[in-house]
Amino acid sequence: MARSSTPQGSLRQRNVGSKKGESTVSSPEPDISKLAKATQKKTKVDNERDYKIALAIITALAFVTRFWGISHPNEVVFDEVHFGKFASYYLERTYFFDVHPPFGKLLFAFMGWLVGYDGHFHFENIGDSYIDNKVPYVAFRALPAILGALTVSVTYLIMWESGYSLPACIVAASLVLLDNAHIGQTRLILLDATLVLAMACSLLFYIKFYKLRHQPFSKKWWKWLILTGFALSCDISVKYVGLFAFVTIGSAVLIDLWDLLDVNRAKGALSIPEFGKHFAARAFGLIIMPFIFYLFWFQVHFTILNRSGPGDDFMTPEFQETLSDNVMLANSLDIQYYDTLTIRHKETKAYLHSHEDHYPLRYDDGRVSSQGQQVTGYPYNDTNNHWQILPADGNQETGRNILNHDLVRLRHLATDKILLSHDVASPYYPTNQEFTAVSAEDALGKRANDTLFEIRIEHGKKKHNFKTVASHFKLIHNPSKVAMWTHTKPLPDWGYKQQEINGNKQVAASSNVWVAEDIPSLAEGDPRRNKPERKVKSMAFLRKWFELQKAMFYHNSRLTSSHPYSSHPYQWPFLLRGVSFWTQADTRQQIYFLGNPFGWWLASSLLAVYAGIVMADQVSLRRGIDALDHRTRSRLYNSTGFFFLAWATHYFPFYLMGRQLFLHHYLPAHVASCLVTGALIEFIFNPDTADEESIYGPRGGPNKHVSARERFAGRSMKGAWIACLTVISIAIAGWYFFLPLTYGYPGLSVEQVKMRKLLGYDLHFAK
Amino acid sequence: MGKSNSTRGRSPLPPTEKQFATSPTLTVPGDAGKTRSKSRSKSRSKSRSRKNKAVAAGAAGKDTSYKSDGVDDHDVFLLPLSDYGVMIGLTILALVVRVYKIYQPSSVVFDEVHFGGFASKYIKGKFFMDVHPPLAKMLIALTGWLAGFDGSFDFKEIGKDYVEPNVPYVAMRLFPALCGVAVAPFMYLTLKSVGCRSMTALMGTGLIIFENGLLTQARLILLDSPLVAATAFTALAFNAFTNQHEQGPEKAFGISWWFWLINTGIGLGITFSIKWVGLFTIAWVGILTVLQLWILLGDTKNVSIRLWFKHFTARVFALIVIPLTFYMAMFAIHFVCLVNPGDGDGFMSSEFQATLNTKKMKDVPADVVMGSRVTIRHVNTQGGYLHSHPLMYPTGSKQQQITLYPHKDENNVWLLENQTQPLGVDGEPINGTNAWDLLPEPQYIKDGAVLRLYHTNTHRRLHSHDVRPPVTEADWQNEVSAYGYEGFEGDANDYFRVEIMGKKSRGAVAKERLRTIETKFRLVHVMTGCVLFSHKVKLPEWASEQQEVTCARGGSLPNSLWYVEWNESPHLGPSAEKVNYRKLGFFDKFFELQRVMWKTNAGLTDSHTWDSRPQSWPILRRGINFWGRAHTQIYLIGNPVIWWASSAAVVTWVVFKAIAVLRWQRNCSDYSNVTFKRFDYEVGTSVLGWALHYFPFYLMKRQLFLHHYFPALYFAIIAFCQVFDYATARLPGVRGRESSFINKIGAVAFLTLSAAVFVLYSPLAYGNPWTKAECNRVKLFPTWDFDCKTFYDSYDKYTLHTVQAGTAATPSGQAVDAQAPGHEGGGAQEAASVSDAPQGEPRIIKQEKVEYRDSDGNLLNEEQVKALEGKVEFETKYETRTRVVDEFGNEIPNPEELRPAGAAGAAGVAPPHPDVEGVDKETVGSGSVGDAPAAGVDDDAARAPPQDAAASRDGEKEAEINQPKPASEGKEATVHEEL
Repeated sequence: MARSSTPQGSLRQRNVGSKKGESTVSSPEPDISKLAKATQKKTKVDNERDYKIALAIITALAFVTRFWGISHPNEVVFDEVHFGKFASYYLERTYFFDVHPPFGKLLFAFMGWLVGYDGHFHFENIGDSYIDNKVPYVAFRALPAILGALTVSVTYLIMWESGYSLPACIVAASLVLLDNAHIGQTRLILLDATLVLAMACSLLFYIKFYKLRHQPFSKKWWKWLILTGFALSCDISVKYVGLFAFVTIGSAVLIDLWDLLDVNRAKGALSIPEFGKHFAARAFGLIIMPFIFYLFWFQVHFTILNRSGPGDDFMTPEFQETLSDNVMLANSLDIQYYDTLTIRHKETKAYLHSHEDHYPLRYDDGRVSSQGQQVTGYPYNDTNNHWQILPADGNQETGRNILNHDLVRLRHLATDKILLSHDVASPYYPTNQEFTAVSAEDALGKRANDTLFEIRIEHGKKKHNFKTVASHFKLIHNPSKVAMWTHTKPLPDWGYKQQEINGNKQVAASSNVWVAEDIPSLAEGDPRRNKPERKVKSMAFLRKWFELQKAMFYHNSRLTSSHPYSSHPYQWPFLLRGVSFWTQADTRQQIYFLGNPFGWWLASSLLAVYAGIVMADQVSLRRGIDALDHRTRSRLYNSTGFFFLAWATHYFPFYLMGRQLFLHHYLPAHVASCLVTGALIEFIFNPDTADEESIYGPRGGPNKHVSARERFAGRSMKGAWIACLTVISIAIAGWYFFLPLTYGYPGLSVEQVKMRKLLGYDLHFAK
Repeated sequence: MGKSNSTRGRSPLPPTEKQFATSPTLTVPGDAGKTRSKSRSKSRSKSRSRKNKAVAAGAAGKDTSYKSDGVDDHDVFLLPLSDYGVMIGLTILALVVRVYKIYQPSSVVFDEVHFGGFASKYIKGKFFMDVHPPLAKMLIALTGWLAGFDGSFDFKEIGKDYVEPNVPYVAMRLFPALCGVAVAPFMYLTLKSVGCRSMTALMGTGLIIFENGLLTQARLILLDSPLVAATAFTALAFNAFTNQHEQGPEKAFGISWWFWLINTGIGLGITFSIKWVGLFTIAWVGILTVLQLWILLGDTKNVSIRLWFKHFTARVFALIVIPLTFYMAMFAIHFVCLVNPGDGDGFMSSEFQATLNTKKMKDVPADVVMGSRVTIRHVNTQGGYLHSHPLMYPTGSKQQQITLYPHKDENNVWLLENQTQPLGVDGEPINGTNAWDLLPEPQYIKDGAVLRLYHTNTHRRLHSHDVRPPVTEADWQNEVSAYGYEGFEGDANDYFRVEIMGKKSRGAVAKERLRTIETKFRLVHVMTGCVLFSHKVKLPEWASEQQEVTCARGGSLPNSLWYVEWNESPHLGPSAEKVNYRKLGFFDKFFELQRVMWKTNAGLTDSHTWDSRPQSWPILRRGINFWGRAHTQIYLIGNPVIWWASSAAVVTWVVFKAIAVLRWQRNCSDYSNVTFKRFDYEVGTSVLGWALHYFPFYLMKRQLFLHHYFPALYFAIIAFCQVFDYATARLPGVRGRESSFINKIGAVAFLTLSAAVFVLYSPLAYGNPWTKAECNRVKLFPTWDFDCKTFYDSYDKYTLHTVQAGTAATPSGQAVDAQAPGHEGGGAQEAASVSDAPQGEPRIIKQEKVEYRDSDGNLLNEEQVKALEGKVEFETKYETRTRVVDEFGNEIPNPEELRPAGAAGAAGVAPPHPDVEGVDKETVGSGSVGDAPAAGVDDDAARAPPQDAAASRDGEKEAEINQPKPASEGKEATVHEEL
């Protein structure tokens, strides 16, 4: 009620600031004059037709721009290294690890499977030839190109669905159509095409859903709700930045729910149970269902990747045992007392090692050592890495398996010394205990306690057998409870630059994990090595998923290394920097990932204009001056506001991210900014819509979506068309000017390159 | 309804726009909040029944004044005398509580390391870099200086004794203490100005007095107490101003109005000049001011646009111009004080450094010519001059080292030679390195010229080849060395091409040819195309940890830039054109320093044993160990009652607000109730203050400490008092509302409870004796990690054991044995003990002696020293060692020296040093248990304080983390250079 009854110009407009993803607002609108209705019927067909024609043309152009020269370059470009490789792994079904969720990569693999590719090529380096390696790369690239072309159509549809006039729709769509960044990113084997399309679809579907708000729980209503959820889940299943789309839609839904809660709603107050139903439906459609889809892609991921591969090391042994032809299955042996072991540090891959030399009396910092025999970490195979494992009780019986939590001693075979740790500071870490080795006599005599170590298997149950390869374990010094640990800083010359081994008091750290690699004392043909073929173990899906998810977040948070072409979010709207994707010195060709600067700057500046208009409107309203009619304002706040919200939620969160960022992270936000541009072009260049002050009819009637044609019935659209054509021609000029950098063809002379260094872009071949 | 409002009287009005406008805005989620709330209030309260006439109602709404209803004048200058009496009494109480035993402990505690250190630097005028603005530090320095501190004490580590070097530390501590005392009356007045009862104000003040955390901070030389006082003052001024503002047009631009507005500005300036946390206070004032302006904007009746701009300008002046000016003035004073070079130089640009006294440089000839002797400086890293010395690389080519050396030195001088010898008048090449001096005309060095750089001291030339550099073993970097001998003609790998970077060079001529200081250039190695490069990587000890220089392909541009700083040639006589560093004005220096502070602050990401994350603060999960010695401890922990009560008050309001907003959307007319409305707005203001001083910390990745919560705590306490005041005295239906009987009883009861809890924990705040039993009794959570084992079993022991503790634990008894690693050749160590002679017990005498040790720490005798002289550099290191002597001056054999050298970790007389990570307490402890090989189990086990014995018994305890450690905020800034 507040909404509809509120007259223009008063402050009472509760809904003023709310941003609903909706075009025509809730206001009851039997407001089209009879005259308009009459004309409208007549022009209806006509009207729809010109929209359709425009859509067809734009879609066709989109396919042309994306597919033109898609086979060039016939070499691996930029991140195709990763995503092409992952597709190959899927096709070979070997397990790999990546920080992105699987959906986008699965699509590539699907494409490869369709054209019958076997995944033999691993996309090792930028510049590897596809022709020589017989890779159906055009098929791979066709997928993002198709998705990228569809993004243009979806942009158009969003505008159309939101009820914008034809010029506005065309402006928004052609800014995406002619954007070099979108084209460049979607012609290569990269994930962003999928991501952007999913994001655009989620906006479109949500708008469709919202337009049906007056028929809640109808079949169509459910359809678009579920589809919105599906688009969102695709978005987040490609990359985690898809989460921002959840924020966009989530904010819109919250505002919508807030309005539903309003007792003075136009269509009468909802009772609390009714409201609960609305709430539950949205929670199901937009949270629970997308999550199930998200899990589903992981299920597909695990099902496909059933063979051991390069990603094994990221996972726990339990996980690895679910992969066929995994080394764990092949080589895992139960360890028995009096076996000789080689023990390797999981993180740094150094073997536990010892040799005749002793620790120096005094270290550089003046501290003193025990002068015991050195125990170090050594990365290469060596007989000095052999350690015999002895029981703590001295029981001579052989053939006993070692169990989790057993107390053992380790005897260094080459020097016949026993491993010991004691309360002497280690060479580098005054806080950590020194590890050394002492003679058997001492070890069993007065130092007996200090030579006792506990085998503590990671995630091991009480009576777990201690195995080679499969058991990740910590070696805990029994009296002091420190864990054997090593790090990569090499010892000084006295230690032959080998790694320091010391006792770490922080037992829980994952860097304390060691693996017994082999039992050299068992001859090749030893019966213990011939085991019956073991079956691939299985593991509950949720456990696998949870483990993988944890590893992904962990590794994602560590992606902070710098990249020469990374950029900062503040640079994106101004297009200050691109990314060099590929270069070829002979032909002076290069692919430099960069947007269409003119379109980009126009979109960014109109964002500022939008903020300015809203602020000015608020201030003038506050002073009781009303410059806008009801419908225009509601469109400005609700529809354009929704686009602006989408831009803001896809842009500002990047400021909080510590990891390296690239220009392509701005693409989803750029689509949203194009939508705002289209909407504002209409706002600025169109005459006021039909005056409606007189047509406040009885409220509560069925609400109908009003198309642009109806709104602008009988109005001249000349201004808008002129603006539209101007924008398009500027965009075409920009697109054409930067075309050689986007398509990697043709090569440019020095002057030509220099001309294109508009804002000092770091292009190649400028000299 | 709307009509009646148009008379702007004092009578209880129906909700005016202001109330509605302000209150919901504080929490309604999303940007929709503001406008919606306003429109809602109107449509609800005024025109609900007359929907179609909403226009009229809206218009009517605008007739109301922006005056809020339910607001009385709470001008703190008009309080009854009794209130001032109470306030003064409380202030005296606060003074007593804060200053009690302020001389204790008589050694350096926690961050006194930094802030005391800064004071001494101010007094000496030595430039330093710190991440905090200067105001509080300058005031500390000022009090120290007034009390006669000469800056000779360096506050180097926690536990260093104040008494013996005569540091006026009591006076210096008095400054924070007085700031802490001032918070009490500020709190009293703030509560009065928001309309609380006197009894509530008394309680609030009492809570400040008895807050252990605030007290602990205020008794030491730290910044947080001045910061809290400044925040409190700002909060008082702004609350008083808000009160004036809310009384409507007739008070606007009155004396009181201006007074408090300007004081708010000054308060903001002070807060912001103490720590950047003051930005949060600015945000609080800023948000509420914008809100006030927004309300003013809506009052079309009383506030014309012209008047609105007057309001606006007044606020801009008071809240932006005044604080900014104040802030910059503080830096101006800062620059005036620090005129000498110090350890902060390395952070600043060369131009900045050239403004410091002894780093000022004489004008040098501008043009660089062939044959010039020059020193070449690296632009980006402040690593210093291109340097070589007669030492060889132990790795790679084993040729002579090239480094960056930060100080002026003969070895920095290079002679610039053309790639071929010049031809004389006779057409024959002139040989020799001074060939160019003999030419009739100087040859300028143009962009693209190929040079050889001849090191005049060692007669070798700068050289590069395809060998990996000593430290950075990257493929894209080559080693740079000095190669050749006197008379050597050179080889092709000695050629470097000069590439002038036009953009970075100053002046048109400097872009054409090489000029001193003005030209920034790269040196490209002709044979391999790599560029002379340096970065913040230190070479190992064999090069005295100087900075690595390499030749890099694709190194970053700033790290490849060089310039000539000093230049001399016979061609450049006294009449030659001279240049010097660009003179920096105040603003240049100011902005440069701001930038460096910001970068350094963001770089403080190391973890600290006592740091904590924001989520643990409101629940008081853990404190900070400040100091521990002689069986006493200072541990920063809040008063749990106050702490939790204040957090609960915040939660109460948030829950209240959530319900209120939902009810409002469901059309309940809560907001027509004046008390409800005022509660919503007034408490909301304080909770906003709390939130703005708390949540931004979540975004900070740097290390954080419990004491960062204090400003937020202050607001939370205000919120608690307001909630208490409403609950006991203002809520309709409260019995005894008129006599405020419940209010009085409640306030007294809560205050008593807080005071009792304060007393329970006070030994940790004052560093008083305590007993294990009492300590364990109040240790409610295992996460409160103060060490109860430190204390004796009973108080008697403190008198009995002071003697023993005195020797074992006086700070002067610290063996500083973790020195920087030894240097090539050897180091002379000076052993000096300080004398501290308590009567009747073993004395400590002062003694100085010079020893020479090699890099392994072995003692060298005189012949060896002689033999080494000239070949190696000697570095002086100081080592303080304690000798215990008896009354007759005979040394009591130090157990450490009796032991075989293999004794582990040096379990000396003193406990391991807390600040230096080189010593592990646990090692010490178990040394006495007998694990360490050949560790003599002798009387030192008995000497070691029980604390260590305890630690050793309980083998798993991480001894190291129990040690107090300065928060690295200052330390990092002065010790590390940002990478």
